[in-house]
Formats: sequence, C-alpha cells, structure tokens
Amino acid sequence: MRICFVASAGGHLTQLLKIVQPVAGHETFVITTSEAVRENLQRFGAVYVVGECNRQHGGRVIRVFVRCLGILRRTRPDVIVSTGAAAGCICCFLGKLMGARVVWVDSITNVERLSLSGRMVRWIADLFLVQWPELARKYRGTEYVGTLV
Amino acid sequence: MIFLTVGTQFPFDRLVKTIDQLFDDGVMYDEVFGQIGETAYRPRNFEAVVSLDKTAFDERFCRAAAIISHAGMGAITMALDHGKPLVVMPRRRKYKEVVNNHQDELAERFEALGHILLARDETQLRSKIEQLRSFVPQPRQADPETVARKICHFLEVLQGAKGPP
Repeated sequence: MRICFVASAGGHLTQLLKIVQPVAGHETFVITTSEAVRENLQRFGAVYVVGECNRQHGGRVIRVFVRCLGILRRTRPDVIVSTGAAAGCICCFLGKLMGARVVWVDSITNVERLSLSGRMVRWIADLFLVQWPELARKYRGTEYVGTLV
Repeated sequence: MIFLTVGTQFPFDRLVKTIDQLFDDGVMYDEVFGQIGETAYRPRNFEAVVSLDKTAFDERFCRAAAIISHAGMGAITMALDHGKPLVVMPRRRKYKEVVNNHQDELAERFEALGHILLARDETQLRSKIEQLRSFVPQPRQADPETVARKICHFLEVLQGAKGPP
C-alpha cells in the first residue's frame, strides 16, 4: 500500500516521526510545511513541502490546499496518516474524497479538548487516536492506546 | 552549565532579558550558554549565539546540567528523553510572541505530573530558577511503540481486505 505521512514542521512532525519507522514495508512519502526539515525526512521516501498555513491566513490556506491536491492526485495514496495541523487536516479531507483511508493522531498539546483540525477530521477518520485518556472518554469514535511523547 | 534555548522560529526577548537580569539580582550565578535565535536583546552576563547546527545543539544540550526554554515541544521532548531538569516560560500571544497559546495546556499538565517546571511569567521564573537546581524530573512513560502497533494493525487489516498487492 502507498502511505502518505503528513505533519506541519515542529511539534507535529516530532510526534509523527515517532510512528513512521514501524510502517516500513509499505511505500511511504511525506508531506510537510518547511524546507528546513526536508533533508531529515528523505529516508522515508519522497518529501513534498507545501508551505506553512493556518486559519489566520486565508490566502496561504488556498495555496497549500492547491499544492496538496496536486500531490495527492499524482501519488494516489491508500492511507493518509497525520498528527496535524492545518496541512494534515487538508490532506485528510482531500485524501478521503479520493478514496484513501484516514488515520489521525491528535497532538499531545491538546489536553482539554481536541485540536480544531482534529475536531473536523474526526468525522471522516477511519482510525482516530488521542494522547490523553480523558479525551477518548469525551469524544466518541476516538481511542487512547498510549502517548507519542 | 545551564543551556538556554528559545527555538529558531521566533525571537523571545522577554525570556533572554529576564535571565540576564537574574544575574544582576544575584539569583542566577551559574554558567549559562544561550541559543537565542532572532532575539534582539543581547545578554550582558552570558554567552549567546543566534543558532547552532544540530550536532552543536545536541552537544550543548547533553552537557548541560539543566535547561531553560520556551514551552516548545522540541525542547520539552528532548529534556524528557535525556532526563534533564527543565524550566519553561511559555510565549504569550498578548506580547505577540506566538500566534496562539496552544502550548500552555501541555506545560501546565506536564508540570502537574512533575516532568518539568513552569514559569508563567518573569516573576515566577525567578523562583523556578532556584528550584531548578534541585529539581529531579519525573520520567515520562511514553509508549510510541504501542501507538505505532495500533496503526500497523489497522494497516494490516486494511491490506487483508484489499487482497495481495
């Protein structure tokens, strides 16, 4: 299977990297948001950098959306795995529309409630993991099995 | 040596300046080395550089007796992995140091669990620096392997349903 890992550079990527290794045996590639982390990711397959975006910058969201759309149309992954944030959310929705399965691990920084991205992706995720047991009790359809950090 | 890091993405004048002032006040007397990014303030009492490459950063980090940092996940994760005493002062949106306060909750919770020390402002930083010298962090039992196994199992089931490649 072809698996697309996607996470914004920084804390989200730190968490994603904790789960990339064991998925060896599948064809993998990575989508992230900053050139600075490209080199470190190349051991996991092709690396696509789509640029930073968040909901404060509508124009950038559109640019990232278009780039993600292009990448996913070319690569056609079977599964999207993401730890957030905005770029991950965008890829999950686009991937789902193209028939991919969606795996989301909500970032450990969300202690009291899910991230905004997580709250949206929850409706389409095929596997939704959280890193605090109380979140799994609070949100139906989410599961706690352990923490990445 | 105490290693001060503010990350490389944003400046953090408030933290660097407070540490510098704590030397003047006699609260801080340790050797400090700072990696202060785009911070405009230049400390008078300790050596600081804009950035370090990964090797140099790791070397300083591992050699340090304790770490002072913003509440970024990179620094928190690394300190926990190496069992280093860490005090964090979160960036604040009201000072335009960060776009949202999303890291505060994690710092609050990790302090409650005994993993790190949290200074919510400059005044608290003073007392937390004093605590830092004798602080023994509670090791964190993260289990990324369990999370990874769960995902691998999901993929295996999916592959089984799809049939052989």
